[in-house]
Amino acid sequence: MAELELSRVSKTYGAFNALRDVSLKIGDGEFAVFVGPSGCGKSTLLRLVAGLDPVSEGQIAIGGNDVTTRQAGQRPVAMVFQNYALYPHMSVYDNIAFPLQMERRSRQEIKQEVARAAQVVQLSTRLQDKPAKLSGGQRQRVAIARAIVRKPGIFLMDEPLSNLDAALRMEMRSELTQLHRRLGSTMVYVTHDQLEAMTMADRIVVLNGGKVEQVGAPMELYHNPANLFVAGFIGSPPMNFIAGVAGSIAGEAMLRVEAPGFGEVTVPYDGSAVRTGDKVTLGIRPEAVTLGDATDDSISFSIVPDIIERLGLHTIVHSESGGRPFTALFNGDPRLRPGEQIHVRVPRTQIYLFDQDGVGRSRQIAA
Amino acid sequence: MASRSSATATGAFNQNLGAYLFLAPALLILFLSLLLPAVATIGMSLTDVSFLRPTTFVGLDNYLRLLSDGRFQQAVGNTTYYTLGVTLPTMVLGLLAAVALNRRFPFRIAFRTIFYLPVLTSLIAAAVVWVYLYEPYSGPMNGFLVSLGLPPQPWLQSPDLAMTALIIMAVWRDFGTAMIIYLAGLQDIPEEIYEAARLDGAGRLAILRRITVPMLSSVTFYLMIILIVQSFQVFGAIYVMTGGGPLGSTETIVFQMYQTAFGYTEFGYAAAMSTVLFFVILLFSIVGTKIMRRGEA
Repeated sequence: MAELELSRVSKTYGAFNALRDVSLKIGDGEFAVFVGPSGCGKSTLLRLVAGLDPVSEGQIAIGGNDVTTRQAGQRPVAMVFQNYALYPHMSVYDNIAFPLQMERRSRQEIKQEVARAAQVVQLSTRLQDKPAKLSGGQRQRVAIARAIVRKPGIFLMDEPLSNLDAALRMEMRSELTQLHRRLGSTMVYVTHDQLEAMTMADRIVVLNGGKVEQVGAPMELYHNPANLFVAGFIGSPPMNFIAGVAGSIAGEAMLRVEAPGFGEVTVPYDGSAVRTGDKVTLGIRPEAVTLGDATDDSISFSIVPDIIERLGLHTIVHSESGGRPFTALFNGDPRLRPGEQIHVRVPRTQIYLFDQDGVGRSRQIAA
Repeated sequence: MASRSSATATGAFNQNLGAYLFLAPALLILFLSLLLPAVATIGMSLTDVSFLRPTTFVGLDNYLRLLSDGRFQQAVGNTTYYTLGVTLPTMVLGLLAAVALNRRFPFRIAFRTIFYLPVLTSLIAAAVVWVYLYEPYSGPMNGFLVSLGLPPQPWLQSPDLAMTALIIMAVWRDFGTAMIIYLAGLQDIPEEIYEAARLDGAGRLAILRRITVPMLSSVTFYLMIILIVQSFQVFGAIYVMTGGGPLGSTETIVFQMYQTAFGYTEFGYAAAMSTVLFFVILLFSIVGTKIMRRGEA
C-alpha cells in the first residue's frame, strides 16, 4: 500500500504535448479512476507511473519515495493491461508465478503465493491450462492474479474491462470493487467509460487534451462540474447545453439569463464574476426534466419528441429545442408519441450556469 | 430419394470437373516438372542405366550396394557434419542479430541490409571470393590469424579443416535469411508482453530466455527444417571451392550423386542415392510440420 504523488509531470512526444503539468495526489488505499476521451493522455499518465515511459518533466513519488528515474521492474507497482498481456506459451500457473520467479523466491514460497492468488480470482482449477484455453474474463483474472502476487503498493489498470462483453463487464466491475475492498491497496484505473468511473471510483480524475480538468468524488463531479467539459462528460445521457446572455441580477443570488428558444430563465447564482451582457451557458441534465407546467421554483418549456427510447425503468426523449438537440429522461414509461408536443419543467436549482470561459459557477442546491 | 442423391452427385461432379479443367494447365506443369522426374528417378534407381550399354533391371541391387559403399557412408557423415555445423550457428546468430536489430536505433535499416546482402549475392561469385579469403599464403583469413600471433592454416587444403571452412562460409551466407525470418517472428510478439515482463521485474536476459525464445519456437522449427533441407542439398559451394576434396573430406551426398551420374555415368546408382536423400528430406519435412502443428495447437 502506498500513496502516489505526481508533481508537475509533463510528457512530450516530439512536438506533441501528451501531458501538461499534471500535479496530483492519490491517497493510500484510494481507488482513483483516470477518465477522459481517447487521446486525453490518461493511458500515457498510467505508463509514466508504471515506468514504461520516462517523464519529460516533473516528479513521481510512490509511498514518499521519488521513483521518477527507476526502471519499471523496480517500482512498487503492478499493471493489468487492456489486452491482458499474458505470456501465451506459459501455463496459468507460470504466468502468475513469473514475477516471483524473477524475484528468485523459493519454489515452495512461489507455490503458496500462486495458490493464494489463484483462489482470490477463482482460478484454482485452471492452473495447468494455457491462456488460449480460457475465456476473456478468465484471462483478465489471470492478469489480476499476476498483479496480486507482486503485493504492489499500487495497482495500475489500463482499461482492463474494455475487451469484455457488457454482461461480463458488469460482473467484473463489482469483482474489482470487492477486490479493492479486500486488498485495501491503492488502485489507479484508466477508462474512457464514465459509467465505470462513476461506479468504481473513490475519486475521479477527468483528463482532457493532456490536462487535468477536475479531480473529485463521483457525486462531486456530477453535482458541481468545474467546467463545460466535465459537465458534458460525466452523466449519461450527457447534459444539455443552452447558450444565453446574462441579464440582470434578480433578487437574492439569482441571475436572469436570456436564452433563445427558452425565453428568460432565472437561475441560482453565486454572485461571482458574471456581468450583464456576458455570454453564458446553461446546463440541464436530462434526468432533471419532468413532465408538467411551470411552478414558482421551476422553469417550463415545450419540446417535440423526435426519437423515443423506452428502457422500461426510464424513457429517453431526443428532441430539437431552440435549434439545438435536447435530451430528456423520464421515469417509467409515460405515454408519449414522436411529433406530439409536450410541456416539461426543470427546477431552477437543477440548472447549471457556466460563464463565458466555460467555468462552472457554483449553484445553490436546495436544502 | 435415390434419384435426388444421384442428381446431386452429378452436380458435384460437374462442379468438380469445371474446377479440374481450370486446374489442368497447372497440374500438367506440376506433373511434368515434379512428379514425372521423381517417379522416373525411383524407376531408374532399380536399373543399371548408364547410356553406354543396354539397360537391365537390377531390383534393389543399387540400394544394397549403397549400404556397403564406404565412400557413400563418408558422404553421409560429411553431409551430417555440414548440416549440423551450418544449422545451429546460423540460427543462433540469426536470432541474436534479429533481436539486436529489432530495437529502435539509428541506421538499423542499413545494418539489416548489410547482414542480408550475402543472401543476395551470387553463390558462385561469393565462393570465388571465399577461395581468395582462404588462400593459404596471401589470403586475408591467414593474414588475420598471423596478426593475432596465431599460426596460418591450410583452410581448404587440409582434410580436417576444409569442411569447417565451407561451414563458415555457409553460415555467413545463410544467417541473413535466419535474421529476416526471426525479425518477422519478433514483430508478431505484442509489445505489451515485453512491457508486462519488464514490470514483472525481468531483465534483458530473462526476457530473451523466458519470453522471446519460447515465443519464437514455431519460427525456430520452420527455420530449422528449411536449413536442414537446404544443407542436405549443398552442392554449388563445394563444386567451386574444393571439388569434394581433399581426400573426399568435403564430398557430400549431392556432390557424390553428381559425380556418380555425370563423372562415372552410373545413372542408376546415382538415382538410388537421390531416392534415399529424397526420403530422408521428406521425413524431416513431415516431422517438422507435425511438431509445428502441435506447437500451434
